[in-house]
This record gives sequence, structure tokens and C-alpha cells, in this order.
Amino acid sequence: MAFLTPLFLAGLAALGVPLLIHMIQRQRTEVVEFPSLMFVRRIPFHSLRRQRIRHWFLLLLRCAALALLVAAFARPFVRSAALAAVGGGAREVVILLDRSYSMGYGDRWDRAREAARSVVQNLVAGDRATLVLFDSGVQAGAPSTTDQASLLAAIDGAEISAGTTRFGPALQFAQGILEDSDQPLLEAVLVSDFQQIGVDSAANIRMPAGTVVTPVSVGQIPEDETENVILMDASVQRDMFANQERAVVTARLANRGDASVDNLLVSLELNGYELESQPVTIEANSSATATFAPFALEDRAIPVSVRTAADALVHDNVFHFTVSPADVVSVLVIVGLGESDASLYLEQALGIGSSPLFRTAVRSVEDVTVEDVRAASVVILNDVGLPSDPVGEEISQFVSEGGGLWAVLGERVRWPGDRLDLLPGSLEGPVEREGRGGVLSFIDYSHPVFSVFSTPRSGDLTTPRFFRYRPIDVTPSASVIARFDNGDAAMVEHNVGAGRVLAWTSTIDSFWNDFALKSIYLPFVHKVVEYLAQYQPALPFLTAGQVLDLAQYPEAAEFNLSGGNIVVRDPDEDRVPVGGLDDDTRVGFVQLTEQGFYEIRDTAGGDGMSMRVAVNVDRDESNLAQADPQELVGIVTGRASGEGSAVAAREFKPEDLEQRQRLWWYFLIGAFGCLFAETVVSNRLSRTELNPDE
Amino acid sequence: MATVPSTSPGARFIDPKLLARVGSLELAARFVVEGFINGLHKAPYLGVSIDFAEHRGYMPGDDIRRIDWRLFARTDRFYVKQFEADTNTNFSVLFDVSKSMNFGSRGLTKLDYGRFLAACLSYLSTKQRDRVGIVTFDEDIVERVPPSAKHFDVALHTLDKMSPQRPGRLGPPLFKATEFFKRRSILAIISDFYEEPVKVLDAVKPLRFAGNDVILFHVLDPAEVDFPYDESTSFQDLETGRKLPVVPDKLRDQYRELIRGHIEELSQLCKQNRIDYAFMNTKVPLDHALFKYLAMRHKLTKAR
Repeated sequence: MAFLTPLFLAGLAALGVPLLIHMIQRQRTEVVEFPSLMFVRRIPFHSLRRQRIRHWFLLLLRCAALALLVAAFARPFVRSAALAAVGGGAREVVILLDRSYSMGYGDRWDRAREAARSVVQNLVAGDRATLVLFDSGVQAGAPSTTDQASLLAAIDGAEISAGTTRFGPALQFAQGILEDSDQPLLEAVLVSDFQQIGVDSAANIRMPAGTVVTPVSVGQIPEDETENVILMDASVQRDMFANQERAVVTARLANRGDASVDNLLVSLELNGYELESQPVTIEANSSATATFAPFALEDRAIPVSVRTAADALVHDNVFHFTVSPADVVSVLVIVGLGESDASLYLEQALGIGSSPLFRTAVRSVEDVTVEDVRAASVVILNDVGLPSDPVGEEISQFVSEGGGLWAVLGERVRWPGDRLDLLPGSLEGPVEREGRGGVLSFIDYSHPVFSVFSTPRSGDLTTPRFFRYRPIDVTPSASVIARFDNGDAAMVEHNVGAGRVLAWTSTIDSFWNDFALKSIYLPFVHKVVEYLAQYQPALPFLTAGQVLDLAQYPEAAEFNLSGGNIVVRDPDEDRVPVGGLDDDTRVGFVQLTEQGFYEIRDTAGGDGMSMRVAVNVDRDESNLAQADPQELVGIVTGRASGEGSAVAAREFKPEDLEQRQRLWWYFLIGAFGCLFAETVVSNRLSRTELNPDE
Repeated sequence: MATVPSTSPGARFIDPKLLARVGSLELAARFVVEGFINGLHKAPYLGVSIDFAEHRGYMPGDDIRRIDWRLFARTDRFYVKQFEADTNTNFSVLFDVSKSMNFGSRGLTKLDYGRFLAACLSYLSTKQRDRVGIVTFDEDIVERVPPSAKHFDVALHTLDKMSPQRPGRLGPPLFKATEFFKRRSILAIISDFYEEPVKVLDAVKPLRFAGNDVILFHVLDPAEVDFPYDESTSFQDLETGRKLPVVPDKLRDQYRELIRGHIEELSQLCKQNRIDYAFMNTKVPLDHALFKYLAMRHKLTKAR
């Protein structure tokens, strides 16, 4: 017997109170002098003695009540060894059944289910078991029960998912079940192919002490018999032919098998119809590509699939994606009168690339019209000041409504005083950098414009030389995202309304610097324009297990997400619930669990209001490399592999023991019982003494 | 009880208030002495008197003046006439000065109460021209003042200075005291009589059989009668010093029963042996108790 809060036992000192009172009363006996005890002695002494014994009995009852009450508050419990017989007792078994798509390799899934059935059939009376299906997430197949039939039915009804193997969430779920269990013996049976990629997630999981984790591996593949071709991905190349955009799909395949695959048929499907197929030969443990004939794009996204003939693992033999017409970003470049050559490098840079496609219009400051501004997504003032009204006013409004303005602050820039709010500061005269000129020294790589250059060998922004620039006294609301080596601002960002303004304090031709001659010029220009246009590329596909947020999806921009008319169907044509935020401010979250195309429709918007989202399995799961199951057991049990495999009595924490046993309740009942008995006895004694003749 | 300064030792025991009431009794006693009534006590000896008692045969040595010549004329035998002598008698107080008498729950101990009682009785007797004496005893005779008409002051002095020292017994000292009273006397035994009634009577009987008029004054404190204690505690016997744990609530009724039985039995035994018995509770004013007793005795005397 132990106590969770033994400090309460100090309350036992209260037991001393009645005893102390008794002793005090005895000691307090101021002896009464009496002439003669002749008559007192004649009264039978045994009646006094009996009276005292009865009082002691009452005292004992009261003390017992008090002691039981104190003990109840001290939260007593009995150590597990006393509770459960060593080597005996009922078991709490958690069956963790891996259903990731790698379990579809060969007959793994059948063997895994057979192993799970075997565990269920070996349960004895009193044992409880829980079936947990897991991939990267967890699904309770059957709650903790002693009913073997329901467990077997749940195993029979289990299916392989499109998810990847992650042991962490499943083991954590099992840990919770086992910790809450009051069974003396705990056991977890892990049925899986034990892929290496899933082990890392279990690093911080620790099963309750005494838990026996039994791995059942179904992933053993005989040497030289691995057979798996993976469709890794597919890329789309666009070109224009006869004023129509075309796409060329190139699929990349990998052979993870130990034997070469000859003449493997790879087919391209558009809208579910096979367009072309071609044989591909892939050597063992190598990769190959298959390029298909170009096809014309439509004005909306086309669902495209690439397939290979089925092998031992079918989930990675198909790759789904969508091909949308290229996104177009309209750029209006305003130059000085007669300075059309000033945008040579800029036009060339924007003319390259297809995602997005930049449609550039160059206008002189005298010729630019309001319509030109309205047709643009981004306006570049290339070494000119803001045009006079009404174009200047239109540009100002354009920016405040969400447009992008790139102000290239060259020598000829004169800014009207009533539009200074568009500039991130006040301009000063040009500054010469003598000798080899200056370079960019501080660059905010966390900014979307520069983040693409942040990794090594992704472009060195410090190579361009700057010989002249125009210092700018930056306003507090603006932020400098690039500085020269002398500390002056090179690029300043300024938000006006919903729009963005970037000020470049040098030129973007080769007049004041040699930036245009560097290889990083093109991606820099692209990133600046994309950022100002607030461009987001469409995702050709997502991965099973992800959550689709329709609000972030460009194609769903016209959907009324809060209208309650969004219908989502999975690749099996089953309707999928659309989740929402807790406060119901908007809906539009879809859990993607299956491989294929999800169809999303806004029923209130007619047939035109629909889109398709391609979902593929995570290709990492196709890596069938196995981990040592005992290594995983060692991680989650804290014991070396093989150690403690024998069924052992569970070691509970004192808090768990106390909570499970709840002995305090019995102590409390005992205390009240003593008090009740004390009441009855004392009442009876009182009656007896009042009516001695009865 | 207030005391009155007096040149006479022990005079403080005679409370003026008390005596104001007892004084009427003194008048009654004077009537006895003067023959108005036969007094509160008759002369225990036959002597010269106007009240004829009996005839008896003449014996050599008898005064020939007391021969009843008329009866000789009728019977031709010599008889002498005997008269009840209405003469003064001896009055002695036998006072128990054992430790148990030194108990009082109300400030007044039984010993004090007995003192007043003895003083009053002695005073009364003095007023009746009786000879007054006193014997104090505990387990033995402590002090003795032989009866004498001049010993009233000495008796009061003895009452004043006596103090309880030892435990008491009735039998040995009273048996010894029997030797002191050759002449028939009135003996007032003042005690708490903490002995079995039979033993008390055994102790008193020799005095009674010696022809003395014995009166038992049974003096008890109200606490000894009512046992008013509440808390469980130890009781110590004043005489033996022995302690006993007592739960008063549990034995009060039995105790009262026992003490009541003791008093009744003592009273009954005294009655059977023609011994006067008077129970004196110290909570009852002394004059009241004394008057009650003397009134009762007066009634009994007339009945006899």
C-alpha cells in the first residue's frame, strides 16, 4: 500500500486529539477529597470497567473513521505487483495495421491481414484488442473490444490507402490507448512492411513501461526479385504552333527492380482517353524518359494521366496532372520620349519564359494612354517620371487597387509633387561610384523577389557593378530590401493601397551598371514582375494526404465558398465532405485521400464553375527499402532489441495506479461506515444507560 | 456564621441569632428544672422527690426514715418508698474528630457543624443545671472532659481547639468511653457514622446498656447525601487516602440509594435499641435542626 499524496497523512495527527483529550481528562483529575468511599466501593466495579470498555470501542470507531478519512485524502493505491499476478492477467492488445500503398506490393496486404487475424484469434477471455489502420494518418478500425468477430470484420473490411508510411502517429495513438487501459498486460502488434521512410517519425514516441511491442514484418522480398517501375513525374513543355499553344509531355520513369524492363508500354491519357502509348526500356536501378507527341491546349485545364503497365506495386504506375493554358502577365513599359532602346534588355528578358508568359507593351511617356494602363498587370516606369494626368492619375489608382509599379529611378526621372505618395522616399541627384563602382551588399533574401537566390549556386547578386545611382531618402513606411555596399538603398518596397511599388535606384539597362549583362538579370526581372503582378502559378497536381484549400487555388477564385453549394467528388465519384473553419466564416477545405482526379463544382454557378485537381501518391513510398523492425521496437520501448520480449507485468506510474484503483472511494465508504456504526452504538449505549432496567 | 467577641472560650459557637431561637428551648428546660414539666430528660436515679416511684424491700443499710410505715402496718413487712429524683444529670458529648469529619462542600465542615451542635447542647444542659462534659475521639480517645457543672467553659475550649488528625473508628474508643460514665448520663454522639449500621450499634450498645441515654447525631454534608459531582475523576478517601476513579454520572443513583439505606437502617436499629437518632444535614440551619430534634424528643418524653 502506498499513497500518492502522503502529506495528507499528517492529518493522522488529528487522531491524537481524542486521545489527548482523554489523557488530559485523566491527568486533569483534580482529586476530589471525599469523607469516605465506603459506599462508592460498594457499587459493583465491573459496571465501571464495562463502561470504560464501551467508551474505548467508541473511541476506536471514531479513530478508525478519522484514519480512513485521512487515508482517503492521501489517495492510496496498491503497487501493480500486488494487483496483477506475475505472468498472468488480461491483455490490452493494439493491432497496428499498415495500409500505406506500399502494402499493395505483391501479396503483402493479404499476409498482413492474415497476421492481424491470427493475433485476434489468439486472444483469450478477458483480453481486449483495438484495430488501428494507419498510413501517414491514423484511423481506428475497431475500438477496444473483446468481441473477436467485430475485429475480424474490421480487418476484412480494411483497404489499402494512397498514403505513405509514418509509424509515429500510429504508435502515438497506440500509446494513448495503452496508457488509458486498466488491463495489467499491454501489447502492441505492428503489422507493416517496415519501410525506412516511416521510422523517423517514431523518434519521440515512448510506449508505456512494460508494453510488449511485437513487430510482424510482411515486407521481406527475396534477393534479386524486386520488381517495381515508378512513374516519377511528368513535365510539360509549351510552345506556340499556328497561334495555338501546344504542350509536350515528358514522363520520367525509374526502375527500382533488380532486373531491366524491356518494352514497357507507357501511355498518355487526356480527359481519360488514351492519346498515345510507346514502349520504353529501362535498365535495372536506372531511369528513363518518355516524350509524347504535342497536343493542343484548351482554354481551361485538361486532366492528363501517364500510365505504365501494372507491376507488383500499382499505385506508382500512374501519374496524374492538369495542364492549363499558360498564364499571361501583361507588362506596360513606359520609357522616355525617343528612348525606345532603353528597354532593350528588359524586353528581351520578359520575352523569354512560358510560365507565366509576359506580354510586354512599350510606350513612350507621351504616347501612353489610360487604356494601356488598364490593360496591364504591372507598369514599369523605365527612367521616366510619372506621366502627367490623366495617365498619372490612372497609374496612381491602378496601384491603389492592387496593381504593381516598378519605378526605375534613372537620371531623367522627375516626379510630380502631387504624386509623391507613390514613391517610397524623396529623390536626390545621381551619385557617381568611382573606380570599379559599387556592388549590392545587403539583400533581403527572405523577400519573394530575392528568395530564389538564397541558396548556394542559385545566382550571385553581388557580381553586378553599379557606377551611378540616385540616393533616396526612404520614408519610414517603406522598407529597403537591397542596399549598395556604401549603405545607400538599391531597392525599396512601398505598399500603396492594395498595390505594390518597387523603386530601383539605378537603371535596368547597361547605362549605369552592368546588371543587364549578368545571367541573374533575367530571373531577377521575372521575379520582380511576378511579385508586382502578385502571380501564383497553378499547381498541376497535389499529393494524397494534403488538404486542398480552395481559397488558395486560382482556378477556384470564382467559386462562392460560403454559399454552401460546393460539391466535391473523389476519383471514385463519391461525394467528399467540404470542411470549413471552426467559426464557419468560410468553407473550402478538402482532405485528399485518394489517387486520381477530384472534381470540384459550384452548383450555383452552372457547368462552367467546375475544376479538377490531380492527386498523386507520394513517390517516396515507392522506395521499398526496409528498416530493421527490432530497431523500431527499440526506439519506442527504450529497450534493446530482443530484450524484454517476454510478457511482463505492466509498470504503472503511481498516478495511473491510483486513478485506476480509486481505493480512496472505498476508504471514504469505510469512514462513513465507521461513523454510522459509531452513531448506532453510541445511541444504543445512551438508551441503555438511560433505562438500565431494559 | 458570625462570631461574637467573648471572654469565654468557644463562645463564638453560640451565635446570638441561634440562641435567640434556642432561648425559647431554654425556657422550656427551665420549666423542667422548676418542675413545670419533667424536663427534657428525667433523672436517671431514684432519689428525693415528690414523685413516688416504687416500693422495695428493706435491706440492711437503708435509711429507716424511708420505711413506709403504713405499708408495714398492713403487711407487717418493711418496705422503703423510692421516689424519682428530679435532679440534675450528667450530659456528655462524644465527638468524632476523625478526618472524615473535616469535609464540607459548602464552606462549613461537618466538624464545624458538630461544634455548633455540641456547643448548643452543652449550653442547654448548662442552663438545665446539668453537668457538662465532652469526649473527643477518632480511632482512640483524643481528649476527655469529665462532666461537671463547672466544665462548660472547658468543654467549649475543647471544642474550639480540636482538629482532625487521624482516621476514625467507633468501636474501640466508645468501648473505652464506657468506663468514663459510671453514673448514668445523657450521651450525645456526634459523628458521620461511616461504618456499617450494625457495627455502629455494636459500638453504641455498651453505652446504652450501661444505662446511659444515648443520642446519635448523624452529621452529613449535602454532597455526601446528594453526590452532585459531574466529571469523571478520582475520589480520595479522606481517612485512608485511597484513590478511586469514579464516573459520578453512572453511580450517582446507586450511591444515593446506598446512603439513604444506610441512614434508614441506622435509624431503624436505633429505634429498636431505644436509642435516639437524629440525622443532621449541614445544609439545614443548625437551629432549625436542633429545634426539630428537641421538639420530637419532647414529644417522645411525654409519650413515655
